[in-house]
Amino acid sequence: MIRFTQASVTYPGGVTALDDISLDIPDGQFVVIVGLSGAGKSTLIRTVNGLVPLAGGTVHVGEREVGGLSRRQLRSLRADAGMIFQHYNLVNRTTVLNNVLMGRLNRVPGWRSMLGWWGRDEVERAMRALEIVEIVDKAYVRAANLSGGQQQRVGIARALAQEPTVLLADEPVASLDPPTSRTVMRYLQKANRDLGITTLVNLHFLDLAREYADRIIGLRAGKLVFDGPGSAVDEGVFEQIYGRSLTADDVLEAEATL
Amino acid sequence: MSGTETQRVADERFRDAVRPEKPFNWFRLTVTVAVVAGFLGASLSVDARWERLPEVPGELWNIFGLMFGDLDLADLPDALDSMWESVGIAWIGTMIAAALSFPLAFLAARNVSGRVSVVVTRQLLNIPRAIPEIIFAVALIPIFGLGPLAGTVAIGLSSTGTIGKLSAEIIEGCDHGPMEAADAAGGSKPQLVRWAVMPQVMPEIIAFWLYRFEVNIRASAVLGVVGAGGIGTMLQQSIEFRQWASAGMALIVVVLVTILIDMASGAIRRRIIRGPRPAAQT
Amino acid sequence: MIGGLIGLVGFTVAAGADWRYGIGFSVTEIWDGLTRSNAPMRGLAEIDLGALTGSRARDGFLETLQMAVMSSIAGALIALPLALFNSKLGAPNRAVYAVVKLLNNVIRAIPDLLWALLFVAAVSIGALPGILALFFFSLGVVTKLTSDTIDGIDHGPVEAARASGASHPQMLRFAVLPQILPAYTSFSMYCFELNLRASAVLGFVGAGGIGTVIDFYRGQGQWDRVWGVVAGFLVVVIVVERISAVLRKRLL
Repeated sequence: MIRFTQASVTYPGGVTALDDISLDIPDGQFVVIVGLSGAGKSTLIRTVNGLVPLAGGTVHVGEREVGGLSRRQLRSLRADAGMIFQHYNLVNRTTVLNNVLMGRLNRVPGWRSMLGWWGRDEVERAMRALEIVEIVDKAYVRAANLSGGQQQRVGIARALAQEPTVLLADEPVASLDPPTSRTVMRYLQKANRDLGITTLVNLHFLDLAREYADRIIGLRAGKLVFDGPGSAVDEGVFEQIYGRSLTADDVLEAEATL
Repeated sequence: MSGTETQRVADERFRDAVRPEKPFNWFRLTVTVAVVAGFLGASLSVDARWERLPEVPGELWNIFGLMFGDLDLADLPDALDSMWESVGIAWIGTMIAAALSFPLAFLAARNVSGRVSVVVTRQLLNIPRAIPEIIFAVALIPIFGLGPLAGTVAIGLSSTGTIGKLSAEIIEGCDHGPMEAADAAGGSKPQLVRWAVMPQVMPEIIAFWLYRFEVNIRASAVLGVVGAGGIGTMLQQSIEFRQWASAGMALIVVVLVTILIDMASGAIRRRIIRGPRPAAQT
Repeated sequence: MIGGLIGLVGFTVAAGADWRYGIGFSVTEIWDGLTRSNAPMRGLAEIDLGALTGSRARDGFLETLQMAVMSSIAGALIALPLALFNSKLGAPNRAVYAVVKLLNNVIRAIPDLLWALLFVAAVSIGALPGILALFFFSLGVVTKLTSDTIDGIDHGPVEAARASGASHPQMLRFAVLPQILPAYTSFSMYCFELNLRASAVLGFVGAGGIGTVIDFYRGQGQWDRVWGVVAGFLVVVIVVERISAVLRKRLL
């Protein structure tokens, strides 16, 4: 269970990115967060693993309150929450396997990881993560030599290698073309269904959100403006979230329908 | 299903899993072996009398103590005077090098000059680049006598190679469009260089002159060690005659002036590369 | 802009003129000097490449190479952690960053020959003060260049490492190091070239290497041999530079 209680975030300069958000996300749910860019989607997701500190309120992940953890505890919380990024955030110059092993850093003794001595067990776990996104044959290829979709699958594998209980995906398909976007969404769905991982995904496109989400959360200017199942999203809800009516730019496929 | 049970099922499923074979990184192995072997080979074979190494930190501490323990402000005017001479040597030397290298750079740039000119000029530029300033200086002292002139010419000659090569590379990197336009407009080769190439490359080349000036200050600060003018003479003599306090003062002046000029010159360089700021609106 | 130009011209005149605070620069004096018959230029005309075959030159070259190899490797190795601390991203806290930055600026402001003077004063003449001088010189160069690279790396992997629960050292090892490794290796090789060149002059203050041989022949007034050794040195430097250029191109 992830619980937001009156959570607020203010950035230096006084911009309020999140304003009094209260939410309960039960274990195993697939939640998609939609909203305009700048609405606070990325901020919301980053409060879960403490990459962005709260200005007010609390966020609980299970029993742990994110703001009240020591450094070591925070690292351990982050290890339990895999993160996926819009620009994949892979180290291009090194191999796919090394990138995925980054997901194991919190699980091995510090001195051993610093020397790069990964045990067979760690490598095997990384390989299994790659197997889930069906890209294990590229394990020893340089990340730079993969296509965007393949890089994002490696990004998912890196998160899964953490053996997390929560997945946080920040605009995971915003840099990809429509067919590849669906492939990546399907892998996220697979991780959610097969492994029972609570999944929070930021998306720009509403149709993709409706297709994959158990539950959609709409943010506008840092405020919660919608919370409900995908089927409840109609023109009215859309205007609430985006502040205008639907156009072709707002959906992944060409037709502007919901 | 218990935890161990899940593990067992997972193990079952992955037992026959295909794993790609780890390719062997020959490049890394070669580099590692070369570095380790090179280091060991060199350190074991060199006649350095390593038994003195443990004394180094103590001795150095001792010397620094003597140098900075009782600094005498009376040494300051001397140190500033000689440092100013070093700065002058570096500046005039850089100007000589800029003047000499400027035409050579165009002769060495592939997009401006012919093949023969490029090959010959590049070889010509390579020679002064490889010879350190001090060697030039010791060869010039019998000609010009002890003093700053030998140092200035030494700096000028030795920087000509570096500045020439880099300026040529900057010219080669310039945008081809304007050259084509000038060519299409019927411009002659010199006109082309003057109006299509130079406006593009001048800021970068001037910035590099300034950078070289910073480098040359370090060089000119030591030229005095062989008698070619500047603060090096003061440093060398005060260390040789164990007048530690004045050596300390000279060292402080060298370090401070070098850092200050680095900062000032760096700021000007960034300004030149960025171009003049648009006039402030009032 | 105009004011700046006037300032530069004024500075040039002040520095170059023949007065109390100028170096007394004079083109005619240069012309006279270069056209007058003199020992170094006569020696250049009768350059004696035979000087290279003697055991004196051979030992000098060997020592130069040994010194450059050792000091570059040791300097570059220590420079890697220093480069990390010398960047805002890599330093564990602001205090370490400030201290390392200051230290590095001081190290870099001291020229190689000055290091050699200091170490000769500390441990007397030989290859050891030369190696130590080149070591500190390398430390300054590689640290500066590498930390500049760190300032320009992609921060995506850094965020990914932090998000996966990596500690600060782990983040540096897995998100930063792979990104800077090629540039760092390239800088280290560049530094080896610099050291090789510098080692030719350390001998003038008694810090070993081929410079000792050049200084010896110069003291004897045997300019033909001086130029012979310098020519040999030139070939060594250019060959090493070529090899290094090929390797560096492969790395980047």
